[in-house]
Amino acid sequence: MLIYLRKRILSSALPLVVVIVGVFALARMTGNPASLYLPLNATQQMRDEFTARNGFDQPLLVQMADYFGGVLRLDFGQSLRTGQDAAAMALRAFPATLQLAATTMVLAVLLALVVGCWAALKPNGIADRISSFVSMAAASIPDFWLAIVGIWVFAITLGWLPTSGVSGASAWVLPIATLLLRPFGVLVQIVRGSMVSALSEPYIKLARSRGAGELRVVTHHALRNAAAPALTVAGDLTVGLVNGAVVVETIFGWPGIGKLMIDSILQRDFAVLQAAVLLTAVAIFALNILIDMGYALLDARVRPVTARA
Amino acid sequence: MTPSSKHPFHPALLTWPALASAGLLALSGCSVANSDGGTAAASTVRVVLGQEPPTLEACESNLTSTGVVVRSNVTEPLIERNPQTGELEPKLATEWKATSGTEWTLKLREGVTFQDGTPFNAEAAAFTIDRAVNSKLGCNVEGYVFGDADLQVKAVDATTLTVTTPEPDPILPLRLSFLEVVPVSTSTTEKVREPIGTGPYKIEKWDAGQKISLTSWDGYWGDKPAYAKAEYQWRSESSVRAAMITSGEADVAMGLSPDDNMGDLGIDYPNNETVALRLDANEAPLNDIRVRQAINFAIDKEGIVNSLYQGKHQVAAQLVPEGIVGHNPELKGWAFDLDKAKDLVSQAKADGVDTSAQISLVVRSAQFPKITELAQVLQEQLSQAGLNVKLKMLETSQHLTYQVRPFADDEGAVALMTQHGNQAGDAAFTVDQYMLSTGAQSYFGTPEFDAMIKKADAASGDERKKDFEEIFAYQNDKVVQFAHISHQTGIIGKAKSVNYTPNSSSGDELRVSEMTPAS
Repeated sequence: MLIYLRKRILSSALPLVVVIVGVFALARMTGNPASLYLPLNATQQMRDEFTARNGFDQPLLVQMADYFGGVLRLDFGQSLRTGQDAAAMALRAFPATLQLAATTMVLAVLLALVVGCWAALKPNGIADRISSFVSMAAASIPDFWLAIVGIWVFAITLGWLPTSGVSGASAWVLPIATLLLRPFGVLVQIVRGSMVSALSEPYIKLARSRGAGELRVVTHHALRNAAAPALTVAGDLTVGLVNGAVVVETIFGWPGIGKLMIDSILQRDFAVLQAAVLLTAVAIFALNILIDMGYALLDARVRPVTARA
Repeated sequence: MTPSSKHPFHPALLTWPALASAGLLALSGCSVANSDGGTAAASTVRVVLGQEPPTLEACESNLTSTGVVVRSNVTEPLIERNPQTGELEPKLATEWKATSGTEWTLKLREGVTFQDGTPFNAEAAAFTIDRAVNSKLGCNVEGYVFGDADLQVKAVDATTLTVTTPEPDPILPLRLSFLEVVPVSTSTTEKVREPIGTGPYKIEKWDAGQKISLTSWDGYWGDKPAYAKAEYQWRSESSVRAAMITSGEADVAMGLSPDDNMGDLGIDYPNNETVALRLDANEAPLNDIRVRQAINFAIDKEGIVNSLYQGKHQVAAQLVPEGIVGHNPELKGWAFDLDKAKDLVSQAKADGVDTSAQISLVVRSAQFPKITELAQVLQEQLSQAGLNVKLKMLETSQHLTYQVRPFADDEGAVALMTQHGNQAGDAAFTVDQYMLSTGAQSYFGTPEFDAMIKKADAASGDERKKDFEEIFAYQNDKVVQFAHISHQTGIIGKAKSVNYTPNSSSGDELRVSEMTPAS
């Protein structure tokens, strides 16, 4: 297992470098950010000073070499916008996104398991149709629209929840609900599909014929086999939450990495953008390794052959 | 790893989501990482801005997002401009006069203390000017207000300061009104995110990404403000900012849009912003003045103002609104006359101008409310006049490459939609930029026009006013680099619990000391 882990980490390192090089090069292709940071009537001399101070007058490869040299010393540069350490800004924003994403994903999995099982008990029954409609809608509603409607209904019209912000438990409801819908919708369909096939397996008939209660049959026998694909897909969906976080954090004023990224892009704050992308990429690679290892634990067929044999 | 059960996986795996979620919520105590919950007391005024200030550094306070928090709240200038009258008024300086062609002498207020307990005096004033204008810090205010001119400053005694300019500068006091005074202990090698000032509020706490809290300062030399605290949050969506007023989460919301339908919770105020098309006369078909005149005749400014902006903007005839020194009250907006526009285009065509050449209408998305609709209306109206217009919607950074020299090398003629706000109150800040042949934001000019501008820049008093008024008239008659559309109106959302009357500079400088609780 350790050998497998080491191999995975090594094979993740290359894509990580590719991501950083890509972001670095693409960011600089958008031109010199001087005009964003200097007054519109700045003199040419001021522009030149700004450009030289930030090394934007150097060839791209030189800039990149400088950057990687810094990264090796754990120096990720400074924010053009705030003058603060770029890595510190990314690290400060990351936990808020992690909390949001993890809570959302846990709730999505739990809800999807319940609804998916309920739908699978009687394929094409009333419950199945309702859940299929709800999950399709949930998976396809644009999050931006949903967030604004949610604010309008629950914060303004009913006054039950705050519009945005981070103070108190109630502030979590709208961002999580907005972020939850897509993964929930996708997972319900996966759970339903695998439950329907699991419930038609011979061993389920056997369990029923022995007089096991319906609840026990579902939770104890069928769900064991049906849950694995759902958990795998849940992992992939978690990666997708980073996209959702950009929208949700921007609207609800949630101080996370998604908002930091979008602000850095708009402000051409290269160092912060790179730090945020790097941190997110590392997190996603780590998550993927965890998913694969979890899967290996779940299913002996994909378990790597270790040197112990 | 040995499989210990005959099942493919262990039932315990099914319970992890529940455990994990309970654990997460317990860990977070239902609070977001690095946030503090808590609600505002009644003695707190809560403001919601469009974006978090990048810094509160005093020498960057001409940046809207910085100045709106800092200016006149945390720090104060020597001299301030009254946004209603345009007159300069004493602040930390009590009087000032020109003592020679290039020298100004200022008398400073006594008994003023900085929030760190050190006294304010001529040394601090001189230090502030040096730090912002003559240093290598690269302060934003330096480029905006002083260009590359360095100033000589001297503290004659504790309350007397002289400032010497390389060339005679009749508006030096106005320029000084942009400098927020900081104590001599302030770093001269790097910018300071949380400055110390002499203002009525000091910075209490800045939760990055979330909130800035100011608290009133007992040692303030002036009147004690009504609110003990001010809290700033920020939301990018104007609909969310508006919702925060409606739901009682904020007392003042900046930068709302007519679409937010605030009713009597929204206050309109003239925000000094003017919208115009800037026309590139270096490329066909805009190189013919008749085509540029045609564009002016083709735009239905009244219709735009009434349909898109509920009649709240004013049709513009020049780049600066009323209240700016040099605004010409005689100028009337170009008439809307489509036949005349068509006629001018065909005349140009008959003289060999390629009127079918494409004009790129370059617009910055989300620069102000309804900008996309406005751009589409303009494209349609110019097409009606017989021109070939292509709409280019860009984000800020790309748009700036068209806005400021060196201009983006576009394939052909550009009509750039520009939103110009003159914060300084003097037409020189507009004209030097947009009308000189070499202006940073000007496509072209004429030698005669340049001479007029240079003369106006050096004049003072009534002569200065008159010179600039002539410049705006001449632009419309002889140069026609611009098709002016409207002077805009901003909207501030305000809860019923607060008394506040916005003015034309509220967007750049929101004085908390002018807010009082409604009884």
